[in-house]
Amino acid sequence: MIRKKRSFTVALSLLLAMSIVLSACGGGKNNSEGTAEKPVELIWYTIGTPQKDVDKVMAEVSKYTAEKIGVTVKMSMIDWGDYSQKLQVMTASGEAVDMMFTSSWAFDYVQNARKGAFMQIDDLLKEQGKGIVDTLDPAFLEGSKVDGHNYGVPANKELPAQEVWRFNKQFVDKYKLDISNVYSLESLEPLLKTIKENEPDVYPFAVDKNQMPYVPYDYVIEKLPMAVSLDTTDYKIVNVLDTPEMKQILNTMHKYYKAGYIPTEAATMDSMTDVQTTGKWFADRATSQPFADNLWSASYGYPVVSTPASDAMIYNWSVMGSMQSISANSKYPEKAMEFLNLLNTDPVLRNMVDSGIEGVHYKKASDNVMENLDESKNYDMPTFSLGNVMLTYLNTTDPTNKWEEFKKFNDAGTSAPLLGFNFDTSKVTTEIASVQNVKEEYWAALMTGTVDPETYLARANDKFKAAGLDKIMAEAQRQLDEWRAANK
Amino acid sequence: MGAFGRFFKNINKNAAMLIMVLPATLWFIFFSYLPMAGMVIAFKEYRYSRDGFLASIIESKWVGLQNFKFLFSTNDAYIITRNTVVYNIFFIVLGLVIAVAMAIMLAEITNKRLAKVYQTGMFLPYFLSWVIVGYFVFSFLSLDRGVVNQVAGWFGIDPVNWYSDPTYWPIIIVVVFLWKSVGYNSVIYLAAIMGIDKSLYEAAMIDGANKWQQIRNITIPMLTPLITILTLLAIGKIFYADFGLFYQVPRDSGTLYSVTNVIDTYVYRGLKSTGEIGMSTAAGLYQSLIGFVLVITSNGIVRKFNKDNALF
Repeated sequence: MIRKKRSFTVALSLLLAMSIVLSACGGGKNNSEGTAEKPVELIWYTIGTPQKDVDKVMAEVSKYTAEKIGVTVKMSMIDWGDYSQKLQVMTASGEAVDMMFTSSWAFDYVQNARKGAFMQIDDLLKEQGKGIVDTLDPAFLEGSKVDGHNYGVPANKELPAQEVWRFNKQFVDKYKLDISNVYSLESLEPLLKTIKENEPDVYPFAVDKNQMPYVPYDYVIEKLPMAVSLDTTDYKIVNVLDTPEMKQILNTMHKYYKAGYIPTEAATMDSMTDVQTTGKWFADRATSQPFADNLWSASYGYPVVSTPASDAMIYNWSVMGSMQSISANSKYPEKAMEFLNLLNTDPVLRNMVDSGIEGVHYKKASDNVMENLDESKNYDMPTFSLGNVMLTYLNTTDPTNKWEEFKKFNDAGTSAPLLGFNFDTSKVTTEIASVQNVKEEYWAALMTGTVDPETYLARANDKFKAAGLDKIMAEAQRQLDEWRAANK
Repeated sequence: MGAFGRFFKNINKNAAMLIMVLPATLWFIFFSYLPMAGMVIAFKEYRYSRDGFLASIIESKWVGLQNFKFLFSTNDAYIITRNTVVYNIFFIVLGLVIAVAMAIMLAEITNKRLAKVYQTGMFLPYFLSWVIVGYFVFSFLSLDRGVVNQVAGWFGIDPVNWYSDPTYWPIIIVVVFLWKSVGYNSVIYLAAIMGIDKSLYEAAMIDGANKWQQIRNITIPMLTPLITILTLLAIGKIFYADFGLFYQVPRDSGTLYSVTNVIDTYVYRGLKSTGEIGMSTAAGLYQSLIGFVLVITSNGIVRKFNKDNALF
């Protein structure tokens, strides 16, 4: 028995000794690294469907960056649907990552910043990231602060979010519909009716389970029913489901559902991608940016037109729509910041990362205009996710004043009331988990109009209360009041 | 010599056996015993440390039972526990009866080629992922294009909005589960039946026992040890629901949650947005603990009746 115990102790101490040795090896850092002769490798995780030519392009990118700042880059792409979960696991287990994509909608920026996934970059921005500070609209860095610090580099892109109604132009022309008077959800009705009566195979109003009707409220946490009114003066957080605006919208949605304007399976449909590919839809709602119609038309392969459904407003989620962060366990944070700085200021690097290798994936039509070649299908990157979009070359179909229009759009946006406020949920995690479950149960069915709000709204509210929504709202209100006092 | 020497002698003697169990032992050490230390995360507010995973665990704040609270904070706790346990009881009982019955029937088919065809046909669904099964079911139950509603339409029956009406789902869930799993289990029992000594049946036939009597008095008693073991193992997993079955097949439809929400889906929904690893660990620990207690108890009961049939 004693012997057994002793051998166990020996094994244990061996294990400990080994882990110390191993971690000591891992911690080694050499100051002469990071030059053109001896570049360091940065590991970069970003979102999007993995592309065949990523390694090929990164080899070119590495040649360029090794020369300039002494780094090479290894990029891994993770598909849209898997990104949050994979990164969650990778950061939790301390995997070696230097830079990663984060945002308000995938691999939640605020949450993970609080959990310690990202490095705080206030000082890095002043040193290696000067170029970023100079190029970005200050609202981006200001709006993406968590508890007063920056943890990520937002991409320079459209700043406000504007909701629009999108229409499949084919049907607008066919029935000579007038979309200029459409603004509210109710004003859509005559158009939907025309399509329903004449086009039995077409979804008049393409709605899936992610549908969120537009109400003039700024949500504390996206898709949880706590918000303040956009024209608030007292900053009182209310339950959106109790507001007259939401009730009216839900009634209208239910009316549309019963009239057959909305797909019968809307509450369980994950996405409308299939329908968009076939073009068998008439109207839907989306978030816009300047010249978005061009983008949509190009990606669907048929003309799409849109008309505003809301004012352009700067929200937390629109500011944090696309960011690159440096991992908390990065071995070369300064080098990573140098790279991000170059990515956001240097057109050569930015376009290489975005469009691939000149002559292989694209060719230049003029100084800042390019045309995709056939090979571009092996390197089709989501432009907005990879830093400053205003450095990217225009497509031949783009208007020459595209980026000026973006700047105008950004300047015209007004700030939403909660811009800059980030709810710290650590005191109410239990309640958030419960409320999340209630939301999953009722949200999609209500928002798509599948169920009658007269009965289901009350039921949902009862369950939200039982799950502790009031406690979360009270905590949010307390933090919001504190935040306002500190920022006034 | 002493104990140490005897130990090496034993190793030498059983070298072949030990090598055979080595891979499984290693597997268990690395994937079951080592990760068990991670249980401690259930009692912590897990936060990332820049020095890696172990440092994160050690440096995270100790919060006691805080992480378990969300499982019991609403009356959902009752619904999800009820759903999980009741469905699993149905799965265990019906799965057992049908699988054994099928196995016996397959064994009795004299045309061996035909028996193989049936067996393969029953076995096939086991290999399908729940996502695919979910689409199969959808093609039957879709409101406007589903087979069921169209057939019902021919007889003048109003279409049912299957995915927003919880009434029928307990039956649908059980049927889909059995369809997918019975083939696999019946093959296990069939293998056991094939192993039964044929002379027992011959002796019974000479004594004039008919088929039914042979099944009742030879086949089923011979299967009992296997049935007990498999059932005990299933009871140990009674607090685990098949995530795919309860998430993919009802297409995650909110209105069906009252009858499709189980512990696994509840935990998934609650945590997929918050990403609190402490809470998911707590839920897993809770499930394992209850499962452990259940296995010990039911094994104890089996031991009382028949020592040979017990697992340990």
